[in-house]
Amino acid sequence: MKKNPLRVIVAIVIIALASGIYVWKYLYNKPHPDYLTIPADVSVDANTLFNAFVADQALAESTYNGKVVEITGVPSGIEQSDSLQFVVFVFRQGDFGDEGIRCALHPRAVKHDFHLTPDKPVTLKGYLTGFNGSDVIFEKCSFVE
Amino acid sequence: MKIRIIALIVMSMAIQSLMAQKYVTKTGRIRFYSDTPMEKIEGVNQQVNSAFDLATGQMVFKVLMKSFGFEKALMQEHFNENYAESDKFPNAIFKGTVAGLQSIDFLKDGKHNVEVGGDLTIHGVTQKVKTTATLESRGGKIIGHAVFNVNPKDYGINIPTAVVKQIAETIEVTVDATYDKMN
Repeated sequence: MKKNPLRVIVAIVIIALASGIYVWKYLYNKPHPDYLTIPADVSVDANTLFNAFVADQALAESTYNGKVVEITGVPSGIEQSDSLQFVVFVFRQGDFGDEGIRCALHPRAVKHDFHLTPDKPVTLKGYLTGFNGSDVIFEKCSFVE
Repeated sequence: MKIRIIALIVMSMAIQSLMAQKYVTKTGRIRFYSDTPMEKIEGVNQQVNSAFDLATGQMVFKVLMKSFGFEKALMQEHFNENYAESDKFPNAIFKGTVAGLQSIDFLKDGKHNVEVGGDLTIHGVTQKVKTTATLESRGGKIIGHAVFNVNPKDYGINIPTAVVKQIAETIEVTVDATYDKMN
């Protein structure tokens, strides 16, 4: 049976278009993970996490960097920069002053009326980006109720 | 006698104040920007550590590569996995000095142009960099701002031929840091 060349050309064009749309929509424009709903890869006590980075940075980096980590601990304070709100856990003093864990809250997790209750632990979840020598840094954090 | 004691207290307070000239920030902002006709790529990190000593002019920045956020998830993935290799080289570090601080009175509010030079380490490669910057004294804080260019090739970051038209040969880096006096 002889193939109609026009049909072949139309099929090729449709396949090429579909591939292009797929790459554009699902690869090039794929969304960031939703850090508010994504489950944590690992849960750990805040103090234990900080001590892990201080004791063996390379090992802790390979264990936690780039992962969604859930931490529980008693925060030392809430800080505000021009555009971000941070929950801060302080464990020691160093070259940069207070040192510990800094969690930048996800814009949708910011609580403008949030007040810390002394000695009350909180659980936070976020994307751990590493240890800069003084603090373990989290991005896109949210409170775990 | 009382006057002597008061004078001693005042003097010791003044000396303490002079010695405490270290300023720090943990919320410095670094933005890099690549502009080509095919694509504009912007990465922003808003948790940059920096310390600045007024007495010596020494300045240090510590930057976590994975803290750079991008508009598109794919850009962030490519940045961390293919170019910065953030698992292998998690930090970028600048250690340098600010020249000409002696002539600036930081007790008075005002904006000053300065020269900053030092060693910038990215992707495990260290290069000398030098740029002009502004330091503004405002309300007891020091606000630093600088814009300079880096060439990824100089830091051993190779751009694959397939995407060479999408990534600029020279990347513009903008640094903003509001320093608080360290207690």
